[in-house]
Amino acid sequence: MNGPLPALVTIVSLVLAAWALVQVIRNRPVGRGLLVGVGVLEVALVALLITGIVQMLGSDHDFSRATFVGYLVGAVAIPPVAAAWSMDETDRYGTTVLLVALLVMPVMVLRLQQIWAGPVA
Amino acid sequence: MPEPLDDTDAATRQGPGRVLITVYAIFALAATARSLEQIATKFHVAPLAFLLSAFAGIVYVVATISLIRGWRRVARITITTEAVGVVVIGAASLIFTSAFPKPTVWSGFGYGYAFVPLVLPFVGLWWLHKTEAVPAA
Repeated sequence: MNGPLPALVTIVSLVLAAWALVQVIRNRPVGRGLLVGVGVLEVALVALLITGIVQMLGSDHDFSRATFVGYLVGAVAIPPVAAAWSMDETDRYGTTVLLVALLVMPVMVLRLQQIWAGPVA
Repeated sequence: MPEPLDDTDAATRQGPGRVLITVYAIFALAATARSLEQIATKFHVAPLAFLLSAFAGIVYVVATISLIRGWRRVARITITTEAVGVVVIGAASLIFTSAFPKPTVWSGFGYGYAFVPLVLPFVGLWWLHKTEAVPAA
C-alpha cells in the first residue's frame, strides 16, 4: 500500500498501547484521554480502509483481494468493539482489553502490506 | 455490570476474564475468517489443513461465546478440545508434513501466532477452575 496511512496507524497504535500499558501498571480504568486516542486511531483506520480499497481498485497486480478487504474491515471493527468491551471494568482489566486490541493493529497493518505485496497468501 | 461479583455465571467475563475473552474473540475472528477464505478460494490445495482451520475457528467461536455467557460446561468441553487440538495437530503437522502443505492456526503448536494458541487453552481452563472456586453469596 502506498501513502503515509499504514505507518501512521502503526505509530498511533503503538503510542496508544504504551499509554494503555502505563495505565494498566497504575491499575487505572480506560479514561477519557485514551478513548479520544482510540477515536483518532479509528478515523485513521477508516481512512486506511477507503484509500486501501481505492488503491486496490486502481491496481491490476495479483494479490488476495478478498483477504485484503477482510483485514481492512477487521482493523476498522476491532477498536470500537474493544473499547465497548473494556467499559464495564473499573480497574486495569478494561485497559488491558484495549491494550490487547491496540497491539493487534500493527500486526494487521503488517499483514496488509504482505498481502498487498504478493500473490502468495 | 448489574450482576453481583459472586455470580458464577458472570464471573467468567469479569476482571482477567474480560482480557481472556478479548484474546479468544480475536482468535475466533482470525481463524474463522482465514478458514472461510481458504475453503472458498483454494480448498483443493490442502483440504485436511483447511478443514482443521475451520474446526479451530468453530472451537474459538464457541469458547468465546460460552465464556461471555458463563456456560461453564460448554466452555470446559470446548477449551479441553482446543488444548487437545493444538497439541495433537501441532505434533501431527511436524510429523506428517506432507498432509499439511498449508498451515493451520494450530500448525507447529501455533508458531505462526507467537505460540499464543498453545498457551491460551491452558489459561482458559485455569480461569474456569479459578472462577469456579468463587463462593456463592
